[in-house]
This record gives sequence, structure tokens and C-alpha cells, in this order.
Amino acid sequence: MDAIRLENVTYTYGAGTPFEKRAVDGVTLGFEKGMLSGIMGHTGSGKSTLVSMLNGLCRPDSGRVLLGGEDIWADKKKLRSVRFRVGLVMQYPEYQLFDETVRADISFGPRNMGLEKGEIAERVSEAARFAGIGEELLDKSPFELSGGQKRRVAVAGVMAMRPEVLVLDEPAAGLDPAGRESILNGIREYCRATGATVIIVSHSMEDMAVYCDRIAVLAEGKLCMYGTREEIFAERQTLAGLGLGVPMITDIAYELRALGIELGGDIYTVEGVASSIRKLLAR
Amino acid sequence: MHDLVLGQFFPGDSIIHRLDPRAKLILLLIFIVMTFAANSVSAFIILLAAAVVSAALTRIPPSVFIRGMKPLLFLLIFTTVINVFMTGGEVPLFEFGIIHIYKEGIINAVTVTVRIVLLVLGSGIFLTYTTSPISLTDGLETLLSPLSKIHLPVHEFSMMMTIALRFIPTLVEETDKIMNAQKARGADFSSGGLIKRAKALLPVIIPLFVSAFKRAEELATAMECRCYRGGEGRGRLHVLRYRARDAVFLTVGASLLAAVIAINILYPIYRL
Repeated sequence: MDAIRLENVTYTYGAGTPFEKRAVDGVTLGFEKGMLSGIMGHTGSGKSTLVSMLNGLCRPDSGRVLLGGEDIWADKKKLRSVRFRVGLVMQYPEYQLFDETVRADISFGPRNMGLEKGEIAERVSEAARFAGIGEELLDKSPFELSGGQKRRVAVAGVMAMRPEVLVLDEPAAGLDPAGRESILNGIREYCRATGATVIIVSHSMEDMAVYCDRIAVLAEGKLCMYGTREEIFAERQTLAGLGLGVPMITDIAYELRALGIELGGDIYTVEGVASSIRKLLAR
Repeated sequence: MHDLVLGQFFPGDSIIHRLDPRAKLILLLIFIVMTFAANSVSAFIILLAAAVVSAALTRIPPSVFIRGMKPLLFLLIFTTVINVFMTGGEVPLFEFGIIHIYKEGIINAVTVTVRIVLLVLGSGIFLTYTTSPISLTDGLETLLSPLSKIHLPVHEFSMMMTIALRFIPTLVEETDKIMNAQKARGADFSSGGLIKRAKALLPVIIPLFVSAFKRAEELATAMECRCYRGGEGRGRLHVLRYRARDAVFLTVGASLLAAVIAINILYPIYRL
């Protein structure tokens, strides 16, 4: 069964004004438990609106959001507990930091859940570990940190609630390559270690190819494709038409194929292509 | 957050939208003077007709104006009640216990209500709905520029206003974003007593201040990088120019004002 599922959801901004815009248009999409899924799409394709529906920040005009088979809008009083079960890290989450120390900021979520002190401390250090925040940073003020470190603190702040579904909107945007890799590795580790369902929004094809088990493609508020990375990146023309394309390394593999050089195996990650080229050269 | 219709620019291309902002400011001034000068039925009919015709000329759906009135409902009811019950007169129309209602009270209530509605309608028609905040401050600056002769910092004042207006939507959006981020971590803004709610807002206010200060600093740096140094000798990108349509509207406005004053003087019979 899907851990979380959107059924025919629609959302329109500014209905009845000249700014009216249909952001999400009849999307049905389920995320399997324990999977790391990706949502990609061009700017303005409705990705961010879609993910803010997952934890009930945004109420769809029509359609349902099912968490563990239950409609999250069935009982409005339970909405707050839905937000603890579906952790959402928003785009550029650095701005949400407010507390005196990093430790206190990460514990904001667990404190809101009403957990005991011991439990909170345990969760904070666990989340800090997943997000790659060193012990020495925990007692600093979040405002002294660098941009990349702030991002990790914000991610840890949501992980500390131990959500069964973790949604991250562009978690790696604007970070340097090393920062990207380490934050995405931490997210993958969280997914594997806790068995949580993780959903990442990104428009980096490379990140999608490396990290995601399943990929959904949105365009103009509609779901265009949903499948494994092999299924998605095989549709090179369609993706190009949506302004998305495939990972650069996959493009190289396709160009080599056009020249008559067939690369077997994984043509979606640099490691995969490198190893098949090495094999070809050895022959 | 997004229901702040009162005082929101409604983009369009109608003749009212295209009027010079200075002309619109003057028209609004005329309209306000007329609203307060009017004290007879016929004067109010002229005013209402002028408001309805101009509202139609903006080509903004009437529902927008009606929605903009909604926040006023409480004020209108309040002033009506106060006026009806508190105004004294000679012969009561209705008496019950300590309640006395006089003809003067009802007349007062109606006049005040009509005036408030007209004022809000007028400022919506001539300014807030049809003039973008930027051209509004442009107009204001040009209208007030004679004051710089007596060393009032008119340009700085209008730059301050432009910046403030420019960043209101940004701040609203940002507040929304931060509130959502904290809600996603289980923050609860809508339950508990006053103190609890005020405390719950801290996780919103702190990041909002931090980013507002940061933005102010960045903006100041960016302005200095482009050698901004206040009003002295500054040219402008959009030079305001009066056109024929401005003259037409101003003439009509002035004649209506004259008509209202004339009615007040010549026909005191119709006086309320």
C-alpha cells in the first residue's frame, strides 16, 4: 500500500482575480512505503504546491490526500498530528531558524510533539547525525552558521520529528557539490535506516538519477510521467520537450550509442558509465 | 493573508488606469471635499452617480468593490447605531423606555453611512485599485515637490514610501512562508490564551526581523553601488505628463464640485 497518496488533487491560486493560476491540475500519485521518490518539473510546474498538500499546509480545492489510507482532511483536529507524521522541509529552509542554539532549534519540532526531555535529546542527536551536523555546532547560535550548515540544521529540525514520510523541497539547491552530496547522502541514510518514505523535489537530473528509486515528472500542474529512472530517462525527447532533459552523463551515453559504441548497464550515473567505459577499454 | 482586498492594486487598461497619477490624486481630493461639502439629497445623488460612472469606467468587476466594503461592515453598523440612538432632536419619532429615536438621528446615520461608503469607494476607484503603488508615489512626489523649496526632504520621503510599499507584499509572502515552515514543525498559532499565542509567534517574528534587516542592508548596498545619493539633481525614468484625458476628468471633477457647492448655496430647501 502507498504510504501517502494524492487522489485527483487540484489547486488554483487567486480564483476569481486576474492573477488566477491553476497550479495543480488533477494529479493522482502514490508514494510507496520505504521508497525514495523524486518529483521533478520545470519552474512553475506545481511541484512546491503539490508537496505542501502532502502535510496539509495547502488544502486541495478538490481531491483527497490519503496518509496510510486515511484522508488527512477528514478530521481537522488531527491535522497537527499529520504534520508530525509527514515532515516537510520547505525550499530554502534556512530562513525558518529562530532559536538561541542549534540544539534548541532542532528540538522545536519534538518539543511541539510534547515528548520528554530524554527522548528529545536522543532525537536531536540522531537527527544531527543524519544531517551531518557536528557535535561542536550544537551549542552555537544558528545565525553564526554558514548557509550550508543552516540548511542542514533546518533539515535536522524536521528529521528530529522522525516523520514516517519525509518531504524535501529542493534540499540541495544553491549548495556546493560537496554540500549537495553530503546532504543527499544523509537523506538517503535516513530513508534506509528508518524505513521512512522520502520524497525529494529537485530539478537536478543528476541527483534524481543517483538517489531516487521512483521519479514523477510534473508539467503545468499535471503529472506527465511516473516510473523508475530507467523508464523516465528513456523518454529523452519528451523530457527535452518539457525543458528538462536527462542527466548529462546519459546524454553522453546516447551520443556514444549514436556513434556505434554501445554502453551496457547503468547509463544514468557517472560511476556506472565510467565503469562500463573502463570495461570497454579493457577489451 | 491573501484576502487583503481593501487597498490592493487591480491591474487593468481602462481610461481611469491610464490617467496621470497626479490627476487621480487631485480627483480624489476633489471627491473627498465634495463628499464632505454635500448636505442635500441632490448633491448626494450627483456624487453617487459620479462614483458609479467612474467605477464602471475602471472596468473592474463590481464584486471587487463589494468585497472591499466588507471589512467596513462593522464600522458602518456601529456608526449607524450610535447615530440613530444618540442624536437628539425636537420631536421623537419613536419612544420606548429610555430609547428615543429622532428624525435627525436617522438622517445623520444615513448621511454618515453614505459618506463613509463614498470615501472608500472613491479612494478605491481613483487610487488603490487603479494606480500601482509606484506610480502613486511618483505622483505624490511630483505634487509635493514645491515643498522641497522650504527644505522638506520630499524625494527622500517618497523613496521611503516607495520602498515600504514595494516590500509589503514581499514581507507578507515571507511571513506566510515562515509560518508554514513552523507549522510544518508543529507550531500552533491558533489555540491557547493571549500570552501563549504571542509566544507562539516568536518563531515567526525572529526570522522575519532577521531577514528584513538583511534585506534592508542588501538594498542599501545595492543602491550605493549604483551611486544613489538622494534627490539633488536626479532625473527620472518615467516622466509624468498630463494628457487630454486628464484635463477632461479634472474639468468634470471641478464642475461637479462647483455644482455641489452651488446646490448648497442656492437650494437650501433640499437641505437634509
